[in-house]
Amino acid sequence: MAPWLSSGLIYASGLALTAGSITLLYIVTRTFNFAVASMATIGFYVVYTGVTLFGGLPYQYYPFAIIIGSITGIICYYGLNRRLLNRKAAEITLMMSTLGYDLVLLSLIQMYADYLTYTFKLFPRRVTMSLFDFEIFGERAAAFILPLIAIAFLTILHFFLTKTKFGISMRATIENPTLAGTSGINSDRVYLVSWVISGGMAALGGSFMAMAMTGTPVMGMYTIPLMFAGAILGGLGNIYGGILGGMVIGLTEYAGVYILAKNFGPWILGYRMGIPLFIMAATLLIFPRGLSGIPLGKIIKKRFGQKRGANV
Amino acid sequence: MLTVNNLNSGYGKLQVLYDLNINVPEKELTVVVGPNGAGKTTLLCSIMNIANVFSGEVLFDGEPLAGVVTHRLAQKGISYVPQMGNVFAELTVLDNLHMAGYMLSKSEVKDKSEQMTEIFPVLKDFIHRLAGTLSGGERRMLAIAMGLMKNPKLMLLDELSTDLAPIIAEKVMMEVSRMRDDLGITILMVEQMAKRALEIGDTAYLLVSGEVRYSGQADDLLHEPELCSMYLGIKQSSKINGGFELSVSDEGSENS
Repeated sequence: MAPWLSSGLIYASGLALTAGSITLLYIVTRTFNFAVASMATIGFYVVYTGVTLFGGLPYQYYPFAIIIGSITGIICYYGLNRRLLNRKAAEITLMMSTLGYDLVLLSLIQMYADYLTYTFKLFPRRVTMSLFDFEIFGERAAAFILPLIAIAFLTILHFFLTKTKFGISMRATIENPTLAGTSGINSDRVYLVSWVISGGMAALGGSFMAMAMTGTPVMGMYTIPLMFAGAILGGLGNIYGGILGGMVIGLTEYAGVYILAKNFGPWILGYRMGIPLFIMAATLLIFPRGLSGIPLGKIIKKRFGQKRGANV
Repeated sequence: MLTVNNLNSGYGKLQVLYDLNINVPEKELTVVVGPNGAGKTTLLCSIMNIANVFSGEVLFDGEPLAGVVTHRLAQKGISYVPQMGNVFAELTVLDNLHMAGYMLSKSEVKDKSEQMTEIFPVLKDFIHRLAGTLSGGERRMLAIAMGLMKNPKLMLLDELSTDLAPIIAEKVMMEVSRMRDDLGITILMVEQMAKRALEIGDTAYLLVSGEVRYSGQADDLLHEPELCSMYLGIKQSSKINGGFELSVSDEGSENS
C-alpha cells in the first residue's frame, strides 16, 4: 500500500466521523458545532492517556473516547444548547455558543496536558500515536482497522436511524419538529441523543486522526476547517453526505500532497490544507447542494436504461 | 371538553387573536370558519402551544394547557392534524403511522396500523411507499389516519380540504363526519370549505380579524346571509320559509 494511501485512509476515516458529527448536529439542532475541534482532541487524549498509563493498544481505548466525547456533548447540550434552543436563538448565536464552549474545553485540555507532563513525566504536547500501533502484512494496522471501525460505526448508526423506533423518531424530528411534537415525540430527548452521538463521533474521529498526524492540544483547532469542509462538501443536509465529504477531503489532502510534491517539490507541503479546500470549492461550483445533492440514483438509472436500450 | 377563555395570542410580538372565547362540547364537531388571515390556524397553534399565548387560558377537561409542551398534549389525548407538513414525507406510510402512534405499545401500534389501513384502504396499497410520493388526497387521508393513531379524545383539524379536488375534499369531509358519528371523537375543525363544514358541523364560530363574529349552531350560520356573503363567499339566491336557499359560488376557495 502506498504510504499516502495508508495515512490517507486513517486520516480520512477520522475526518469522515468528525464531518458526520458536525452534519448530524446541524440537521437536528441547527447548530454548527465548533466544539467538535476540542471534542476530537479530547478523544485523542483519552486514548493517549490509556496507552501511556495503562498500556495496551490504542484500539482498546476507543470505547472510552466515545463515552468521554458523549459526556462533553451532554454537558454542552444541557449547559448551553438546550437553553438557547428553548429561547429560539438564531443560528449565529447557537454557533457562537459552541465556539465559547470550545475555548473552555481547549483550556481544560491545556491544563490536562500540563497535568500529564508534571505528574507522570509524559510529553503530551507532541505525540506520535502511530508508535503505539502494530503492523499487519508489513503495513500499519490502523490503515486496515480504522476504516473498518468507521464502517462498523456507520453501519450501526444507519441501523439505529432506519430500524429502531427512536432512530426513526430522530429522522421524523429532523424533518418536521412540530409534527413530531404533536405525535408525542419528545424533541428534547432527540436533541440530547444527537449530542451524545455527535460527541462520541467527534471524539472517535479525533482519536483516529491522531494516528496519522502529530497529536497536540491544538490539533482540533488545526483541523477544524477541514472537518467543516467535509460537512459542507457533503451538503449539510444529510449525515451520510457529511461522512462521504469528510472521506473525500481527507483522501484528497493526502493524495494531492503526494502527487503535487512528487511533481513540484516538497515546498508544496506548506499548502497542503489548500488542496482539499480547492477541491471542495470546485465540487460545490458543479454541485451546489454538495455530494448528497448529486442525483446518483437518477444517473445510474439513466445509464442502466441506456445500456438496456443499446442491447435491444 | 375544550374551553378557550379570553385568549390573546400570536407569533413573536405580533398579536393575531383578540379575547377569543370558544367552547368545544364533547363528542361534537365544532367548526371554525372565516376568511383568510382571520386567525383560524393560529387558534389551533395556540391550543397546541406552538403560537405565543399572551393572556387568557385554554382548558382541556378543566385542566389548563398553558406551558404544557407539545408532546405532552399528545399524551393527554389531543391530536393535531396541521394544514401543511402533516406527514413525514421522507418516511414510509407505515413509519408515519408508527411515529403517529409513538406513545402506544408495540402491539397497540400494530393493531392500530392495521385498523387504519382498514378505515383508509388506499393506504394499504402504499404502505411501504414514501409519504412524499403520495397524492394530495392520499396524504390527507394519511394525516387523518395519523391523527387517529393516537386514540385521541380531541382532534384538531386544520383546513383538511385545502388544495384538494372537490370529490376528494368531499370524501375527506365524510371521513371527518364518520369520526364523530362512529368513533365518538370530539373534533375542532378549522375549514375554508365553509358550506360543507357548516353542514356537517354541530357548533360553529365565525372568526374575522382575530375576533369571533358569530357563535352558535352551525346550521344557523348558514342562514345569516350577510355574514355568509361577506366573509365566507356563500351567496343566497332566494328565500325559503323565512330562511335562505343557498347557491354556492366558489366557496371553499377564496373568501372576500
